[in-house]
Amino acid sequence: MRRWVNRALILAGLLLPAVFAQPSAVHALPRSASLAADDWAAYRARFVDPSGRVVDDANGGISHSEGQGYGMLLAYLAGDRGSFERIWSFTRTELLIRDDGLAAWRWDPAADPHVTDINVASDGDILIAYSLALANQAWNEPRYKRAATRIAQALGQQAVRREGGRLVLLPGVTGFSASERQDGPVLNLSYWIFEAFPVLAVLAPDVDWTGLAASGRELLTLARLGPAQLPPDWLSAPANGPLVPASGFEPVFGYNSLRIDLYLLRAGITGTDVQKAIRNNWFVANGGVPAIVNIPTGKALARLSEPGYRMLAATLACAVDGTVIPADLRRLQPTHYYPSTLYLLSLSLVSEKYPKCLS
Amino acid sequence: MSFLRSILLVLVGAVTVPAIGQQFTSPPTPAATATAPDSAAAPKVDESALRFFASQGDSRRLDAEIARLRALYPNWQPPKDLFSPTPDQDPDLARLWQLFSEGKFSDMRAAIAQRQATEPDWTPPAELMTRLDEGEAARRLVNASEARQWASVLRIATDAPGMLVCGNMEVLWRVAEAFVRTDAPKRALDVYTYILNTCTNPEERLATAQKAMQLLDGPDLDTLLALERTNPDGTREFAGLRDDLLRTRVGRAAQDASATVTAEDLAGLETLARGGTAADDALVLGWYAFRHGDAARAVDWFKLALDRDGGAKAAEGYVLALAATRRALQAEPIAYQWRESGADNRKAYIDIMAGLLSTSPPPRLDQSVVARFAPVVSEDKSAAGAQALGWYAYNTGQIGTAASWFGTAAQWAPDDEPAAYGLALAAARLKDKATLDAVVGRWGTRSDRILALVSPEARRRLASRPASVAVPPSAPATPPSRPQLPVQLNTPVSEPGYPAPLAAATSPEPGAGRASPSSGGRGPGQCAGSTEAAFRSGRISGEDAVARGWCLLDLDRPMEAVDAFDLAFRISTGRVAEDAAYGKSLAYLRLGLTNQAQVAAVETSQPSARAVELSADLLSQQAVAAYRDARYVEAILALDERSRIAPEQQDLMMIRAWSYFNLRDFPSARRLFEALQAAGYTEAGAGIDAIMATTRKWRS
Repeated sequence: MRRWVNRALILAGLLLPAVFAQPSAVHALPRSASLAADDWAAYRARFVDPSGRVVDDANGGISHSEGQGYGMLLAYLAGDRGSFERIWSFTRTELLIRDDGLAAWRWDPAADPHVTDINVASDGDILIAYSLALANQAWNEPRYKRAATRIAQALGQQAVRREGGRLVLLPGVTGFSASERQDGPVLNLSYWIFEAFPVLAVLAPDVDWTGLAASGRELLTLARLGPAQLPPDWLSAPANGPLVPASGFEPVFGYNSLRIDLYLLRAGITGTDVQKAIRNNWFVANGGVPAIVNIPTGKALARLSEPGYRMLAATLACAVDGTVIPADLRRLQPTHYYPSTLYLLSLSLVSEKYPKCLS
Repeated sequence: MSFLRSILLVLVGAVTVPAIGQQFTSPPTPAATATAPDSAAAPKVDESALRFFASQGDSRRLDAEIARLRALYPNWQPPKDLFSPTPDQDPDLARLWQLFSEGKFSDMRAAIAQRQATEPDWTPPAELMTRLDEGEAARRLVNASEARQWASVLRIATDAPGMLVCGNMEVLWRVAEAFVRTDAPKRALDVYTYILNTCTNPEERLATAQKAMQLLDGPDLDTLLALERTNPDGTREFAGLRDDLLRTRVGRAAQDASATVTAEDLAGLETLARGGTAADDALVLGWYAFRHGDAARAVDWFKLALDRDGGAKAAEGYVLALAATRRALQAEPIAYQWRESGADNRKAYIDIMAGLLSTSPPPRLDQSVVARFAPVVSEDKSAAGAQALGWYAYNTGQIGTAASWFGTAAQWAPDDEPAAYGLALAAARLKDKATLDAVVGRWGTRSDRILALVSPEARRRLASRPASVAVPPSAPATPPSRPQLPVQLNTPVSEPGYPAPLAAATSPEPGAGRASPSSGGRGPGQCAGSTEAAFRSGRISGEDAVARGWCLLDLDRPMEAVDAFDLAFRISTGRVAEDAAYGKSLAYLRLGLTNQAQVAAVETSQPSARAVELSADLLSQQAVAAYRDARYVEAILALDERSRIAPEQQDLMMIRAWSYFNLRDFPSARRLFEALQAAGYTEAGAGIDAIMATTRKWRS
């Protein structure tokens, strides 16, 4: 019964936003300069080096395609064309070197050559292409559009695939498919950056981004596992079997999945079952802060009190109940790259869509 | 193949190749390709880079830029006022060129975008943007090449063909490699040809030819090397490379026995080797000769390499080549000297020593040669080395020591049959039934010859295999120098944590080192003494009969010992009878008569004629088997034993004669052959001929 209800919801959701059928309706897209200049400046000073490299300081100072994509998106949101160019220059020159047109995912300053894993992290490519597309619309740079189009098409070829009976986004080009893993495909539902799909659909219309969005929302509904009903970071989604945490990965709703609700909200999606489960876990079970949750037991392994993570919960509360953002979360307090990034993405969402929460 | 990949292939095949190919195949007018000036007479040339480099005093970049602009605009002349204060009034541009010269492309991008954000009408000079695009593309191309993304390398090159100039040699090289890696060697040839036709930097030209040598071969490479120029001093610019090429070719074949080079190549390298002072060429020639079956020639080259400080590899080759020419003894000092220089040297040393020691009869070795080998074997836990020491000890009559080394070898290499066989053989000789049974238990089903040590049935089976006993031996392995004193061997060093291989074998058998292969050393009277007459008449105590049995067994005369023990068993009871039974079983063991049925048959008072016949038969088989395994001492021992109970037939005498021959005991062999020939046994003539041929050869 429940499943039917969910399917109905998904179908309704598909019909609602005009963006899918009518890509010109870009009013839903985030505006450039929605991010306060000083917040961005603090982030930039802390995590973007002069070469345009976004430094993941909690991971040995490496960089990755995801970080570069976040950096470009934030630079766009801050209206900072100079920084956008800076980060893009590094991204293109250092990472966008694969034969298939996608970005190598891992760059290590201590290694020579710096690219230490040529594989792809598809969310990084989505972020890069999405940011380029947004920047092109804002600043009218055909270079950006060309590059974004190439990446979007390459994603369609390499990462958006029919696997396990569904249209899925493979997390990487190698190592995750049903043919490569016994429990494959292995997916990461936090790689579905829903806000980007309508934009990429304009650039690469041959790719079924609508179907990808639909399968992502279906998977999010179905992958609510364990007592806490939360999706695992790494999900095994085989054709003829139940969804389970993928083997070889810690079975947690962890740092990856933390951003699922943010991504849904940024794409204008609210009130889904998974969002309710997340909200329930954060606010009922864990005192209002995000937690790393063990899927089999439903128990919290850690509560995350860094401002960037608390902002995720604050944003969720704001979106659902109009709860105002606490005073200590009104400004970026740069801690580490990842929570600081999530903070700025949350803040730009709130200031653009829920400005009342900041009053 | 994915759709994208096929697109890339199409791109590489249809777009990249013509675009880049054109770039390379028309060097005289490269300007005609992408950026053809619309007006050749009065080109609008952006000289800002030029002025910037001039103002910086960066003459290398300045020259490169002048060359680049000249290539683009054939009618253009560099301005005369280059070094006068620049008329350029835009301070941003100077800063941008500064960033460019420092390779700070991201900073350039940021600065340009920032200015455009505040000043929407401002456009940077096209020249600046072109150079920036090319700078980034070159860097990206190198990154893609490092990641072996060859299609990406070619696509990047296609998108920024302007960077494919002599000033970007690194990029050119990587594009060429990308063509090779994507199975387009002809396009790579185009790139290299372009470089050698166009670019002038001598080091880069040389490096280009070297890179081409690594990636191309055959006529393609010849075509390229033909583009060499003559140096100011009259030498050819790639002369050294041609030698390297020669070295590469012979060197490759030197690693691979199935590959050969032409006689010209070989002669060329030989000339280089003789003319030079380094060891490398001689070493290559040594290995080539060695791997192509000419060990004698290899010895000479390795010797030359060794004399030229060729080091460990030269020593290894020298040792192996000497061993291959049956001069292992000569190689031993060198092999020992270099044993610590590397795994290969150590192996070579152990191998030649193992070969030397396993030879039967044992060669005359200096005490120190054997003594210094044993610690190396222990240290390396070399099963082959331990086994060789075992055979050496065995062949020189040090059976206890042999058992110990064989035991050690079997411990280090539990699945090595020869080690187990050696251990079993030594255990049998030592009457160590427990060890023998253990080995047979482990190997009986897998090794016929081990089983044969305890099973007459198996022995018969082995012996019935077709074999010609009268096969003349191959050329002598060592110079004849009998009689000789074998080196006294030590047992293996027991390491801490390593149990002594065999407790019973901690010291050599007393006097074993001097034991003669033939049993004539000690007369039978030594055991008989005063009891001989009593024994013959049956008037002897049980204890005395047992003592006589042990004594005879010590003299290696188990058949007679059986009689003594048998008598003791019949006339005694209790402890003495037990001792007698035990002695008898050991004596049977020594005879190889461990088969229960056989023992019973002999024991249950068979008519003595039948027992003798049985034993004689078994000893015949034993002798034949030993001879076939080249264990000539054992063959003679078996025949000796047999001759005590039965007359020796002519065919067995032939085996005995050939055994003497193989042991280099030519006088004994000759006596026998001649006796046999005189008795009408014509095959003995071959033996006499063989003796004459061999001795004549040695004397000459």
